[in-house]
Amino acid sequence: MRGLLAGFRLELHVVRANPDSLIPLVTAPLFAIIFLAIVRQGGRSDLEPDALMAPVLMSLWWIALVQAGSMITADRWQAVLEPLIAAPTSLASVLVGRIAFLMCVGLLSFFEVWLAGWLIFGVSIPFEHPLELALTLAATALAMAGAAVAFAALFVMTRNAYTFINSASFPFYVLGGVLVPVAYLPDWIEPVSSVLFLSWSADLLRATLKEPAVDDFWGRLGMVLVLGAITFVLGRAILFYVLHRMRAKGELATA
Amino acid sequence: MEAVEVEEITRVFEPRRRSGTRVVALEEVSLTVPTGEIHGLLGPNGAGKTTLVKILSTVLLPTSGKARVLGHDVVDETEAVRPLIGIVFGGERGLYWRLTGRQNLEYWGALYKLSSRGAKARAQQLLERVGMVDKADERVEEYSRGMKQRLHLARGLMGDGKVLFLDEPTTGMDPLAAREFRSLIGELRDEGRTILLATHDMVEAEMVCDRVTLIDRGKVIATESPRTLGQVLSRFQRIDVEGVPPAVLDEIRAMRGVMSVTAVDGAGTRIEVDEEGATQLVLERLVDAGATSVRTSLPSLEEVYVQLIGERGMEI
Ligand SMILES: Nc1ncnc2c1ncn2[C@@H]1O[C@H](COP(=O)(O)OP(=O)(O)O)[C@@H](O)[C@H]1O
Ligand SMILES: [Mg+2]
Repeated sequence: MRGLLAGFRLELHVVRANPDSLIPLVTAPLFAIIFLAIVRQGGRSDLEPDALMAPVLMSLWWIALVQAGSMITADRWQAVLEPLIAAPTSLASVLVGRIAFLMCVGLLSFFEVWLAGWLIFGVSIPFEHPLELALTLAATALAMAGAAVAFAALFVMTRNAYTFINSASFPFYVLGGVLVPVAYLPDWIEPVSSVLFLSWSADLLRATLKEPAVDDFWGRLGMVLVLGAITFVLGRAILFYVLHRMRAKGELATA
Repeated sequence: MEAVEVEEITRVFEPRRRSGTRVVALEEVSLTVPTGEIHGLLGPNGAGKTTLVKILSTVLLPTSGKARVLGHDVVDETEAVRPLIGIVFGGERGLYWRLTGRQNLEYWGALYKLSSRGAKARAQQLLERVGMVDKADERVEEYSRGMKQRLHLARGLMGDGKVLFLDEPTTGMDPLAAREFRSLIGELRDEGRTILLATHDMVEAEMVCDRVTLIDRGKVIATESPRTLGQVLSRFQRIDVEGVPPAVLDEIRAMRGVMSVTAVDGAGTRIEVDEEGATQLVLERLVDAGATSVRTSLPSLEEVYVQLIGERGMEI
């Protein structure tokens, strides 16, 4: 628990010291404007909520992938990783605390797109099912945090950070139905998407903004949480494996 | 209970690339450090000091052999070992440069399970101890190298470790800071801590350690008292001179305690002495002969090793 808090506070200081790490908060409202312009041009005002939620999910995913994902690698380059491993708090808990802070920051994009849509197009977020919406956002952020642990571990192993970031960002926006619901995509994508918490999050998020009662809300929310938890457990296992390998090979330090 | 027990630790680094070479950084190293001792680990660059310190601090796995810290195995019982140790890995490592000194220390305090208030208090106390209170709220990136080193040292003490591993902590420090640091090591021992100090500096090892283990190329050569080391240091001297007639050099070569007289590039000559008092006689003879630019210096650690090993009839 103390590790979580320490990580949370550390990240607060880190973000305050480099605000430029918050690029996704700059891009989220811009994407919202682009997507809104497209759906309005097509005369599909029913898709306005979809256009608003896509940038929120993209921001959360990007922060998990890039900001959180590069944490261990950055610590290694700053020669902090070795003393961190030698300390009595588990790296996983510090990492989760740091990621939790970033997810809170990422959720700010929700308010940004709300504001951007309203200021530019006079479009507001339709709060049809506010409780369900809040719970979906929270569950999504939790699942993202789980994924971020996996990203951080995988990032250390990859030689080329750009390849990693590119292959794990936009392809997942497609597979996760972030931009376009998976139902509109070729059928073969569906089985892949259905094991990604992201596609469940995206569908549920859109559903909570539309008038009809949300179909099987708790079941779908449960899927987001369960898939997120599985991602976290997998990520933690990869993290332990990676750290063990680095201790064995003498690679915790860069020099 | 012994603070540190190392039993036949071997560590091999396999080549990273096919063209690389396999390095045996430690070869069946054994040593024991009783609780409360300041133990020196003295060896030239590449001797394997850092490798041993890393294995003892649980961040590197040995290839074979066992090591325990206060009775706990450093491979199988890392959770028991980690709260007991403090590490100072030389230089300016272990700091977030974008954060202030105080924020760094408080973060590490939390990782060593201090409460938020406890971490604040301990950070303040250590900032005072290393003379960094004035700069505590500036970002580390603004610090001079020496300030970063002091903060790094404070970082290593945040956990209140019972056994401290210090790896070349004074490298790059100015002499004054290094002296203050050495007196701090004494205070830390007086607080009941055990200290393993890795260094390549013979004088430092002699000054602060209760016992010194000499290692070279991954092997322990001997464990000595600093007095023995001091004697070696005062016995071995190196004299560089210029402008001495060959006849005088021959005479010196025959003097008692003179180990070697060799020409070095140009007009210079290097005389090596290995007996207490002999240096004085050699110097007098040189001055009589009108030698110019006489300089004495300590032999390098490697040279002392060669001597010690020679005397003991050990092989490398
Ligand atoms: N992580 C590593 N990977 C490969 N070789 C290493 C690594 N760490 C140390 N070595 C090698 O092991 C030997 C001992 O190094 P080290 O323990 O750093 O010596 P010292 O601290 O006494 O200078 C050196 O030859 C060094 O190059
Ligand atoms: Mg070293």
